[in-house]
Amino acid sequence: MRTLDYALREGWRGLRRSGVAGALATAATGLAMLVLGAMLLVTSNVERLMAQWSTTAEFSVFLRDDATSEQRGLIESEIDRSGIAAGRVYLSKADALIRFRREFSDLDAIAASLEDNPFPASIEVRVGPEAERDGRTTAAVERISSLSGVADVRYDRAWLTALNTGLRAVRGVGFALALLVALAAAATVASVVRLGLQSRHQEVEIMQLVGSPVAFIQGPFVAEGLLQGGLGALGAVALLAAGYFSGMRWWAGGVSAVLDGARLQFLSPMLLSLLVLGGMLVGALGGFVASRHAR
Amino acid sequence: MIETRHLSKTYSRGLYALQDLSLTVGKGEFVFLTGPSGAGKSTFLRLLLLQDRPTEGEILVNGHDLAALSRRDIQEYRRGVGFIFQDFKLIQTRTVLENVSFVPEVLGMPVAQQRRRAFQVLKWVGLQHRATAYPHDLSGGEQQRVAIARALVNDPYLILADEPTGNLDPDLSLEIMNLLREVNAGGTTVLVATHDRELIRLVGRRTISLEQGRVAEVS
Repeated sequence: MRTLDYALREGWRGLRRSGVAGALATAATGLAMLVLGAMLLVTSNVERLMAQWSTTAEFSVFLRDDATSEQRGLIESEIDRSGIAAGRVYLSKADALIRFRREFSDLDAIAASLEDNPFPASIEVRVGPEAERDGRTTAAVERISSLSGVADVRYDRAWLTALNTGLRAVRGVGFALALLVALAAAATVASVVRLGLQSRHQEVEIMQLVGSPVAFIQGPFVAEGLLQGGLGALGAVALLAAGYFSGMRWWAGGVSAVLDGARLQFLSPMLLSLLVLGGMLVGALGGFVASRHAR
Repeated sequence: MIETRHLSKTYSRGLYALQDLSLTVGKGEFVFLTGPSGAGKSTFLRLLLLQDRPTEGEILVNGHDLAALSRRDIQEYRRGVGFIFQDFKLIQTRTVLENVSFVPEVLGMPVAQQRRRAFQVLKWVGLQHRATAYPHDLSGGEQQRVAIARALVNDPYLILADEPTGNLDPDLSLEIMNLLREVNAGGTTVLVATHDRELIRLVGRRTISLEQGRVAEVS
């Protein structure tokens, strides 16, 4: 406990003495944590929205105009047997036309002038979230597509898959970038701590000569890095929060309405704590590397 | 207390700093190590402080073979050895009291005990009234007395002093030597490296003269 108290006290003293160089190292760690935090903020929100959209997924089975009621019954039985449906609604040709005229009132005149109703009858199926997750829906859709009386099945998951792939890429690049910046930050912290080590070489030499334990010699330098990293990460959290609240205004201004009232969420307290801990770890690592020869 | 057997230390290009040095310093003894610059006095002290390793030979201190000490053992060994240097090696950003209490502090002693012990030794060297001063406010003699206080604060069984009076005038040098004599009178072994023949004559203790890394004379 005394070692920790001494290390933190001397580390804080070292940080205050490090001046501009110390501020730069703190900013470098802050930048690394800002990159990581921003990436986490974007991907966590997109992931949440994707999960939300996935659970509300549905597909439409369009029937041929000449499909018989027996064929329709078989299709509906297959949908029920597959166990993927949370609910289904039959939409006749007439219902489809009414819906078109209601949703696209501007085109009402065109719809009224049609001699024949071009809209096919369909069965709209709302998919259960667990079926969506374990991939049973895709298999069921394939089976249903091959039944007689079916003109087409529209189950457009390609955009979600593409978004998921893009998200993975963003996450990968983000982590790589954050790792790179974190390494650069650790190197900056190490340089600053090394400067402090040089200015305190006499203290270190005396400590070595009096037989001081390694923890007492190296501890203050590790603590100095840890404090630099922690302060940088706290700064990054503050900037992230400021960015988030500014972004919220833009989001609420129109984007939210386009995306069915979807809301943004800030990083959880757990993630924020991990971010600060990560900054402290990066700083401590820099301090440790810089002072390993002082033992 | 100190025994060396066929001790040698060579530097690059095969230059000998110490060559086949065998000597003994008894427990509780006060010994001068003298010789011209480059005779090997400081190298010998560096080896005793384990700041450097010998090329050949053995060093036994208080029965311990220094070559066989582990890192932890080295720390333990150094806690029993006080050191004094010509340039004092005081920490300029710390007060006199902090310079002295720094040693027990980094050895993990409780704060109250550190301060009490530091104040005791400062009183012993006659500097209790300068406890809150910084090294740059002190004279050379006072700075060296602080260094002696720091060397004593941990109750060492051996004091190693490398040219402790090198930066001081003759009167102050004698004053410092008298302090070291008092330390020695308390049972602590003292080994002082100096090239000041006059001081050696005034103090009058056993003297080992080195020349080109070898013992030239013992008087």
